[in-house]
Amino acid sequence: MNAAIVERLGAVIAGIVVAVVAFYALYKDWNASGTENQVFKLMLFLLGIGAILALLAGLNVIGFSPAKGA
Amino acid sequence: MSVASLARDAHGEVDQLYIETRELRLQGFLLFLVSDCVLFSSFIFAYLYLRNSGQGWPPPGIQRLDVAFAAWNSVVLFGSGATMHYALENFKHGKFMRYIWFLLATIVLGAGFLGGQVYEYNHLIFGEHVTWWGSGIFGASFFTLTGMHGLHVFLGVCYLTVLVLQSAAGVYTRGKFFGITAGTLYWHFVDVIWVVLFSIFYLL
Repeated sequence: MNAAIVERLGAVIAGIVVAVVAFYALYKDWNASGTENQVFKLMLFLLGIGAILALLAGLNVIGFSPAKGA
Repeated sequence: MSVASLARDAHGEVDQLYIETRELRLQGFLLFLVSDCVLFSSFIFAYLYLRNSGQGWPPPGIQRLDVAFAAWNSVVLFGSGATMHYALENFKHGKFMRYIWFLLATIVLGAGFLGGQVYEYNHLIFGEHVTWWGSGIFGASFFTLTGMHGLHVFLGVCYLTVLVLQSAAGVYTRGKFFGITAGTLYWHFVDVIWVVLFSIFYLL
């Protein structure tokens, strides 16, 4: 198993975990009020999006990978 | 008036002052984050403009950045955002030891991300000969933006380390913890900036 596969596998597994945690935290805080909580909600949402992007990149759905032997 | 009542009055006055100024501090800190956002935005838009005004991207002679390692390193940073969020939540609920462990996990993950960035720089500079000074717009924009973000992460790790020391010294209480809130906001901010940088450098 080469390094790129390990990195991709790590990105996929950790990406799922982080996305679930971020969206669960967002769900739990959904009814929280106040300025800081509104900012936290926005940032948790973007964090979840980032984790999904990394997950998709790990799955090779988006992003670029060198061709084999390149 | 006894010494004890003097201390109680003084304590009460500080708490009152804290409550009155907390919103102001929060707004000031959010303003700081907005100004930092403007700084990053100006560099990001300059990069996007230069990228789209050239004849293809990346410029001839430079390979596209490989996404596999960057995806893994990004998830390490995003994971640190999640641990920081739970550090604050645990502090709010009075679970001090869990708060400390989550904070330490955030520091370790942040340092891990920085280590990954050093590894990637090393690979680019010595392996592919892409440099800040010798690879045109690509090298200049990549190293400037990711380096500026790395500096923010480094400062964040230092700040979180100070938070651990202050928390151990009993500086923060359940009613008075703006420093921890500010640290969480800052750490989420560097996470969100990386979502953008990761997208424009590795995914576009």
